[in-house]
Amino acid sequence: MTLNDIISGLGVTVLLPIILFVLGLFFRIDVKRLFRSAVLIGVGFIGINLILGYFLNNLAPAAQKMVEFTGVNLPILDVGWPAAAAIAFAGKIGLFVIPITVLVNFLMYVLHLTDTIDVDVWNYWHFAFTGGLVYALTDNLWLGMLASAINAAIVLVLGDWTAPAVQQYYGIPGISLPHGFSAAYVPIAIPINWLLDKLHLDKIQADPESIKKRWGIFGDPVIIGLVLGLVVGLLGNLKTLNDAKSWFNILQLGMSMAAVMYIFPKMVSILMDGLIPISEGVREFMKSRAKGRKFYIGLDSAIAVGTPAAIASSMILVPIAIVLMVLIPQNRMLLAVDLAVLPFMVVMTVPITKGNILKTVIIGTIIIAVGLLIGTNLSPLFTKAAIQAQFKMPSNATQISSICDGSNPLTWLIVKLINSWYGVVILFAILVLFLYFYRTHRQTWEKIAGATEVTEENK
Amino acid sequence: MRRVKILVVCGTGIATSTVVSRKLEEKLSKEGFEVETRQCKASEVSANLEGVDIIVSTTPISGNVKVPIVRTLAFLTGVGEEDAIQEIIQKLGGDKS
Repeated sequence: MTLNDIISGLGVTVLLPIILFVLGLFFRIDVKRLFRSAVLIGVGFIGINLILGYFLNNLAPAAQKMVEFTGVNLPILDVGWPAAAAIAFAGKIGLFVIPITVLVNFLMYVLHLTDTIDVDVWNYWHFAFTGGLVYALTDNLWLGMLASAINAAIVLVLGDWTAPAVQQYYGIPGISLPHGFSAAYVPIAIPINWLLDKLHLDKIQADPESIKKRWGIFGDPVIIGLVLGLVVGLLGNLKTLNDAKSWFNILQLGMSMAAVMYIFPKMVSILMDGLIPISEGVREFMKSRAKGRKFYIGLDSAIAVGTPAAIASSMILVPIAIVLMVLIPQNRMLLAVDLAVLPFMVVMTVPITKGNILKTVIIGTIIIAVGLLIGTNLSPLFTKAAIQAQFKMPSNATQISSICDGSNPLTWLIVKLINSWYGVVILFAILVLFLYFYRTHRQTWEKIAGATEVTEENK
Repeated sequence: MRRVKILVVCGTGIATSTVVSRKLEEKLSKEGFEVETRQCKASEVSANLEGVDIIVSTTPISGNVKVPIVRTLAFLTGVGEEDAIQEIIQKLGGDKS
């Protein structure tokens, strides 16, 4: 029996808890609490696997019928960020992502290349996701880990860059948002926002509260799921609507999708709960070594997502995303679970547009349109990564993807470049140039990202 | 032991609100409170106010809410946790009976 046999034999639900338990010991976490949390992590995975399986088994045949009978060619199922995160943590890269990220963060901090101490261990999954896709592409574990490390490094600098902006706009002093998904859109949002300002679109104000009242239904994932299920069911049964059985099928699919949208995140919550002690261990470990120098505490962008402009914009973007999904000819992705993740897509754009909903929605539309193409393009690797992480697909034909991070432009960039030596050189060049120009012109850069005041740190 | 029902709010209703719920249960029980928490998203606050004594949130909450709100990141950063707990106790009326 080889090590590989043991690893695949045990499976992620046993292996990851063991590995995270050992990691937790390294961070000197109380053993009893750590043990229970490790078990919870395994439980979370089992829960996620259950719902993912349910989702795929119900939606895949329905989507198939829809493609056959209406020619609406969207066979790639959006399994959403809950599945993407689970696949990321369950993959071989996921086993190493926490030590890799802590190491990268620590080194960069000590070398004054970042001021952020990223204690948001849950969101390290974004880096493992990129690494997992690279591993699926190249079968090279080291390359996968390198991809994770580069992803983490870039995101840490993005976090620093946007820190004054988010601190001021969201009133969160001392915090940065090194979020693998939310931060990736900042470099794209900035030029588009500049263009929109030139077109004087910043003069058009919309009231978030009235938008939330009128479009509120698009902010409720359960209803989104219900409607989506009903529509896909309807389209798949278009030829047999005189048969009562078709209607039973349609209504059941609506409920199935509503259930997935509601229950899926709750399963993820179990996993997150399990990660809490390790997260705190990482936090205290890094803080104690920060040696009195100032630092930003890197947190989940979820702390800002409640802001009215983000919520209102993402509500409007849901129907826009659905229309784009159907209209864009090269898109093959059937948006589903990740229709609920749109607030995270715009949350770091909002300080740049200064809360202007029209501009945020336009930027969001462009991001989603491009994202659909990226998601379609990365789907084969995503599906392969899922299979490698031992998630069962209902059939060989099933293709999956997501918005977060399957449509993440930074992930796409790293995956496309890393597989050649000149690509790796380009990636490092991007990181180095980004670091250099940012850190030598901090005030200017930070204002471009939405900062309105000069902070103590960068006077 | 005074029983309190806390609505813990974050952007997703599951991410940071899970962390905060655990901390509240742990720390407030040491202060003599019996804590029941419910988690929800910022956009769902008005639908979840039944019987809630106080709201603890990591993300902005807009709209008119009659229940006291404490917005803090202390339980995520590890900085100022005790102050946050005191503020919560104070807004609960400080009464432990």
